[in-house]
Amino acid sequence: MTTAVQRPALVRSSDRMIAGVCSGLADHLGWPVKFVRLGMILACFAGGAGVAFYAWLWTMVPTADESAKRNARRPASPIAPAVSLPSAAAAPARASKAYDAGPSPAVGGGPPAAGASAAGVQASGSSNGTGSSAGFGATSADDWWGGSALASWFSFRKIQYGKEILLGAALLLVAAILIARQFGVDVPLGTLIPAAAILGGAAIAWMQLDETRRAGLVDKTKADQAGGWVRLAAGLALVVAGVLVMVSGSGSWEQTWLALLASVAVLGGVALVLLPWGLKFWKDLETERAGRVRETERAEIAAHLHDSVLQTLALIQRRAGSEQDVVRLARAQERELRAWLFSDAAKESGLLADRIKSVAAEVEDSHGQAVEVVTVGDTEMTDRHEALVQAAREAMLNAARHGGGTVSVYLESTAGSTEIFIKDRGPGFDPDAVPEDRLGVKESIIGRMKRHGGSAAITSSSNGTEVRLTLPSANADTGEQRNNDVRNGEAKQ
Amino acid sequence: MTTTPDSGAGRRVRVVIVDDHTIFRSGLKADLDHRMDVVGEAGTVEQAIAIIAETRPEVVLLDVHLPGGLGGGGREVIAGSSALLGTTSFLALSVSDAAEDVVSVIRAGARGYVTKTISGKEISDAVIRVADGDAVFSPRLAGFVLDAFGTAPADIADDELDKLSARELEVMRLIARGYSYKEVAKELFISIKTVETHVSAVLRKLQLSSRHELTKWAAERRLL
Repeated sequence: MTTAVQRPALVRSSDRMIAGVCSGLADHLGWPVKFVRLGMILACFAGGAGVAFYAWLWTMVPTADESAKRNARRPASPIAPAVSLPSAAAAPARASKAYDAGPSPAVGGGPPAAGASAAGVQASGSSNGTGSSAGFGATSADDWWGGSALASWFSFRKIQYGKEILLGAALLLVAAILIARQFGVDVPLGTLIPAAAILGGAAIAWMQLDETRRAGLVDKTKADQAGGWVRLAAGLALVVAGVLVMVSGSGSWEQTWLALLASVAVLGGVALVLLPWGLKFWKDLETERAGRVRETERAEIAAHLHDSVLQTLALIQRRAGSEQDVVRLARAQERELRAWLFSDAAKESGLLADRIKSVAAEVEDSHGQAVEVVTVGDTEMTDRHEALVQAAREAMLNAARHGGGTVSVYLESTAGSTEIFIKDRGPGFDPDAVPEDRLGVKESIIGRMKRHGGSAAITSSSNGTEVRLTLPSANADTGEQRNNDVRNGEAKQ
Repeated sequence: MTTTPDSGAGRRVRVVIVDDHTIFRSGLKADLDHRMDVVGEAGTVEQAIAIIAETRPEVVLLDVHLPGGLGGGGREVIAGSSALLGTTSFLALSVSDAAEDVVSVIRAGARGYVTKTISGKEISDAVIRVADGDAVFSPRLAGFVLDAFGTAPADIADDELDKLSARELEVMRLIARGYSYKEVAKELFISIKTVETHVSAVLRKLQLSSRHELTKWAAERRLL
């Protein structure tokens, strides 16, 4: 794959004085940031070499954010651990889509900076497939991607090399002129300053253009946009002023003023002519961006399906002999896919219905018995509800163990109370005949419910067993718990 | 087009299967027992409407999500066959748990809703039940109904479309808890026929009610 990248990526840090160049450089080189800054300032006096270097890095090095965004990788699939059960190892690992870039000139060599980064490289190197894609831990993966940031950045921007080389050359030229002046060569300041202004202004404007295009306007906050416009305007003003002073040469106010008027008129004319073209260009850009967003979404869905459904199907084919395994895999996958399709990932799962569902899923996975959950209403979780969930879990485990077929769980939560019914279709048992030492039913279900002010009733016949757990609202007895927050029509799968 | 030899037990229900997955259609065909004949199959909205008009089956097993037409899926098939609603019953099949899918197809006129994971025996029973003019509720659909109508009984039981009567609520609760119609009847000391009457009444309310929650709720679900 690639040689190990042994330093943190060179990115502009957010801990910054001007543009984060020095602190980014310090991070990258492993030097104290103070010295880097001091060195940079000293270099500024060496004929402005520091300024040139700083400007060069400023334009060429992405910020940490941009770098992260560019290298953002889809998160590992949540199903992966559930699907790749221990018994069914060796799911083919996803071939890493690493940029096939060697160490770039800027990041080569040096002692290992962090063990994690090396570990990350190792992890992504194991494409022969021992373990599922979930094996790519988030941290190690991040380090790895961060490590190749600059390398990928170079290859990513191959097409736009021309502009950057030009800019770098211009900056080097400035530095050369400054140094030449230092050695006594006569450089006319009258030409130099406007030229510098033009270059500086252009650089600022270009940077702005670059950033907006990279990040996409949508990603930017309003404040950033305003800042961007200010920068653009400042760049423009610098360039115009520089051009004027250069062209008018004399620096007389009257002439400058006239020239300014003329140039504004010309600019206005040009803008008028170019406006339709510009608008069209903008629209094209928007269309292209929308297309890219769609493409990204599609890629994300494809990635999810690959990590979840395809892996599960592969596992099912391999384990076709074991009906229980197949059913378990299919149900786990179905649940995962449903959760992914129909629920909001950011949704807070501090609600009772979600807890019950996750407990049911757990029982289903461990016993391979389908557990159907129907919920009506919902309520916030409290300690008492946790006890209810634990009692329900015990009942579900019993149902899955001793009952046959599907286990039905029904949760109804109203302002007055919360009830859970767990029904199986097993041969049934006599609740009164349960020996005293069997803690499952006596202690984990009945006792637990009683301790928390609730009740449990078990009815059993030859057609099945039903456990009914009732927990009155907290304010009905203790008064210290929060009022039940009943949401009719709340999340239900 | 019979799938199983006629055992001669009772009448045979003529069934049309509408689903865009061929594999699922053939699996379902094999699952239906000797009490029914599959007289047609369709994979798109247009095909479905055509074959239903042509064969006039008693029961249509209808996938909620179908390609073709105006994108309305199963709902569009029911709307397109509305002239036959008196003689043809629709039983919605779905892998989707999304309430708006289920409720919209029920409100369009389907007599019930079952999930595709249902067993062969259960689906056959459900088809017979729908053919007899009864409604088929899965636990999940009962849960949707309880969610939509609320769990408080109506004050005036009759003639109220926007609320369920106390008895209907009991029936819905038991179905949501996983009880079969027979078990519900036993639990409430009523006949199966009475249970079916209650379920049909709930279905009618679900179809006709303009209860604010019912329309708004489905729309809101999409946002979840």
